[in-house]
Amino acid sequence: MLPTTLGPWLDYTINGLVIGNIYALLAVGLALIFGVSHLINFAHGSVYMVGAYIGWLCVTKLNLPLPITFIAVAAGCGLLGAVIERVGLRPLRNAPRIAPLLATIGLSVVLDQSAQLLFSPDPRALPTQLPTWRIAIGGGSIGALDLLIAAVGIGSAGLLYGFLRFTKLGWAVRATALDRDAAQQCGVDVDKVNRTVFAIASALGGVSGLLVGMYYNTIDPNMGFQAGLKGIVAQLIGGVGNVPGAIAGSLLLGLIESYGIALFGTSYRNLFAFVALILILVLRPNGLFARARRLPPEPLTGTFIAPSRPLVLPKWAVWTLAAAALALPLVVQQPYLLQTLGNAWLYALLALSLTLVAGTVGQVSLGHAGLLAIGAYASSLLALDAGVPVLLAVPLAGLVAAALGTALVYPAFRLRGHYVSIATLAVGEIVTLVILNWESLTRGPIGVTGIPPLSVAGKPLVSGQWVYWVPLAVLLAFAALQSRLLNSHLGRTLRAIREDDVAARSYGVDLNRYKGLAFAVAGFVAGVGGALMAHFYSYINHETFPAPVSMLALTMVILGGLGNVAGAVLGAAVLVGLPELFRAAAEYRMLIYGVVLLLLIRFRPQGLLGTV
Amino acid sequence: MLDLILRSTALVAGTLSLLAALGVVQPAFSQPADPAKEPVVLGVSGPLTGQYAQYGAQWQRGFDLALEQVNAGGGIQGRPLRVQFEDSQSDPKQTVAIARKFVADSRVVAELGDFTSAASMAASPIYQTGGLVQFGFTNSHPDFTKGGDFVWSNALNQAEEMPVLADYAVTALGLKRVALLFINNDWGRTSKDLFAKAAKQRGAEVVGAEGYLADEKDFRSALVRVRDTKPDGIVLVSYYADGAQITRQLREAGLTQPVVASGAVYSPKFLELGGTAVEGVHTTTPFFPGDPRPEVQTFVKAYTGKYGVEPDAYSSRAYDALLLLATVIRQSGTDRTAVRDGLATVKDAPSVVYGTVRFDPQTRRVDKPLSTRLVVKNGAFALWEPVAAKAAN
Repeated sequence: MLPTTLGPWLDYTINGLVIGNIYALLAVGLALIFGVSHLINFAHGSVYMVGAYIGWLCVTKLNLPLPITFIAVAAGCGLLGAVIERVGLRPLRNAPRIAPLLATIGLSVVLDQSAQLLFSPDPRALPTQLPTWRIAIGGGSIGALDLLIAAVGIGSAGLLYGFLRFTKLGWAVRATALDRDAAQQCGVDVDKVNRTVFAIASALGGVSGLLVGMYYNTIDPNMGFQAGLKGIVAQLIGGVGNVPGAIAGSLLLGLIESYGIALFGTSYRNLFAFVALILILVLRPNGLFARARRLPPEPLTGTFIAPSRPLVLPKWAVWTLAAAALALPLVVQQPYLLQTLGNAWLYALLALSLTLVAGTVGQVSLGHAGLLAIGAYASSLLALDAGVPVLLAVPLAGLVAAALGTALVYPAFRLRGHYVSIATLAVGEIVTLVILNWESLTRGPIGVTGIPPLSVAGKPLVSGQWVYWVPLAVLLAFAALQSRLLNSHLGRTLRAIREDDVAARSYGVDLNRYKGLAFAVAGFVAGVGGALMAHFYSYINHETFPAPVSMLALTMVILGGLGNVAGAVLGAAVLVGLPELFRAAAEYRMLIYGVVLLLLIRFRPQGLLGTV
Repeated sequence: MLDLILRSTALVAGTLSLLAALGVVQPAFSQPADPAKEPVVLGVSGPLTGQYAQYGAQWQRGFDLALEQVNAGGGIQGRPLRVQFEDSQSDPKQTVAIARKFVADSRVVAELGDFTSAASMAASPIYQTGGLVQFGFTNSHPDFTKGGDFVWSNALNQAEEMPVLADYAVTALGLKRVALLFINNDWGRTSKDLFAKAAKQRGAEVVGAEGYLADEKDFRSALVRVRDTKPDGIVLVSYYADGAQITRQLREAGLTQPVVASGAVYSPKFLELGGTAVEGVHTTTPFFPGDPRPEVQTFVKAYTGKYGVEPDAYSSRAYDALLLLATVIRQSGTDRTAVRDGLATVKDAPSVVYGTVRFDPQTRRVDKPLSTRLVVKNGAFALWEPVAAKAAN
């Protein structure tokens, strides 16, 4: 039902601007960091959370006045930013660019988990000391905090503009952003520039956490992830690395969401936002406010993914390992171990799929869990509603995931580098949100219950051995296929697209066709993986394959070595196995996991087995 | 290659020393030889880390208190009761592994949890085929106990809870045009449908229903939609954090209608996060610390003494579930199948949530929860009195 009068639209507009205002605080910091180090900083949301907690300590424990709280938060988070740069990122400056990206994910795990251990996972109230007057506008009102947030957002953008334009260090920052090596040759202390940028952006991120915590009167250790995601989307709409663009993009995102609610209802909010993001990316791949005259968006994957000498296992070793893996349940009967390894093989299917598109073709996808979800739902609904036998439903689900996945990502084929990642991230979110809202097909939030297990000749395969053998057999088949593919003419063509798409095109490679082919194969593999999971779980809903699963998949792929088939399997085994291995550590285990991840990236940035 | 091996070895060594430093690597204890003194173990699968960690932490407080009381009272026929809490992050791939672990561990006599439907119900087939009771004490998904005859739940049945809430909103408070905000997950969605039906039967109209995403924090635009349906009352099917957030924002948006919230908002955190905005919010709860029954008073006193705060919905449910299972095991023994049969026949198990608990052996759920009408008054939950409310209107 459309609201008919102007009154509500004024309210929706104001509400959109108010929330956009809040997104802007994070987007500015992200844009600054991206502008200089070409890095999407996934730890920024965690810094924001740390800022909220420092503010909470100042306000409720130390009873400091508000201005001092602000200074303490900015100083604390600025310092944290500098430490992140020094400890987490500087050692990786010569590593492939994908390594720092992964390091920021690891850092955010460490920060979030530390906060959870220090402050308990319970949400806490962060009362504001600002006056409580409100100005009525339209049917609603805005308060002092709304104005303060706008002032901080616009003020910090103004200060940054001045800093970049008129100070010597600001020039150095811009020079570094344009060309790091050239700046270094001109005598710019690049490390100092990076440190400064991280400190400034993190101080701003911390202040945002404080302000938003006060705004909602709630802070919790997990508040950073969702906020960071919105900040990334907002700065992409404005054009990455563009500080004023980030503010405009944030306001626009707020408006888009608010109008989405007005038109379709509250549960369509994020769906509307992510669809808008994809549209904007497709129409204006550099963001809405990118200057017309600028350098090519970013050097391509040749520098994004480092060439390295992959560790090639001799043939006999591969055969021995495969045979040993197949024979394991005959020797070891522990159902817990078999289930854990079975999970690892299922996730290895996801990693195999991702390593093909991200590693071999260079299209780093951050929404791969969406393919699992499509496969899982397709197979369950085919088996339950269409009466298709499970053994047939699983490969059919693979085909559905291949077709639907490729069609959904198709608009992003013309994008490059980071933009592909964000577009696929949006596609992943869209899949989840469509599942939630398309009730007549997917049963919406209730989920799909009573999914039949895999069975052969009427005998269900549910015991510990079968949850191990079935995924392993499927995995070995797909892994063998993918290895063959990589060594074929097709594999070389796909790698050519990764190394230099312009050169590939000039050799007559039709980029869209080959990317489509890669995504179709990847969709099939991941779809089969998701379908198997659904039949093992018996129940799925929109929360079974959430966004962090996509992150986990990417971590597996990078850890194993991009494009490396054996690496994908190893990465999945390590990352499914580690949290189980650390089980004795209870609350500490995710912290240990984060630290181990950071150490692995630090000492083996090209992945355990190297890029193929 | 050698380099890689060296580095890996260094890494493993580093990790182990880290573990040791954290004090989490425990030396293996030699098992006591006397089977009559061996602990009786209940497995718990729940979130201690990740986005649902706050609920796992509340469970743990309830469990710890219940364990103290059970073991102070002689445990299970002289054997101490233990809880083995495995962190699942409410992630299905971890709950299935935990389920295999518990099923294979002969010391575990029953399992409690997990938290989300996606995580709990993925593990149900394993508990069912393994013949280990899965006791989902917060799992309100309508199909949860359909997983098999080893899957039980004493979670509030929404088919019972929602008519009670509708009675409060429609019959007692006299609301005729109700707008509903519900969290768009299986619990919120089921509750919304049941509430709408119950409200209609009582002569009220549901003029609008807005489902919001679980991690939503901004409700300004949703509330514009609510406002434009011109309701005379607002019903929230929410947990405490989102419930507090919505109430704050609807008061800021100038909506002054009475707010009636589902029992899941019942938590001291609702008052803390909502501040003055939640003043006057109505809710019902099966568990209320002001309840004069002795078992409730013992629990509240022990809980506040141990943790310094009043118990909330999740910790009281965890406490209740553990005591219930202890009672069942005392009556039926530690055999896994006997525990299942014991649940079907248990009659007078004390409960802070239900009075006494009895299961319907067909649905494996509890019927007839208690219900107390509450209103937030002077920053605390207080019993609602119809006369006082009328005078205030």
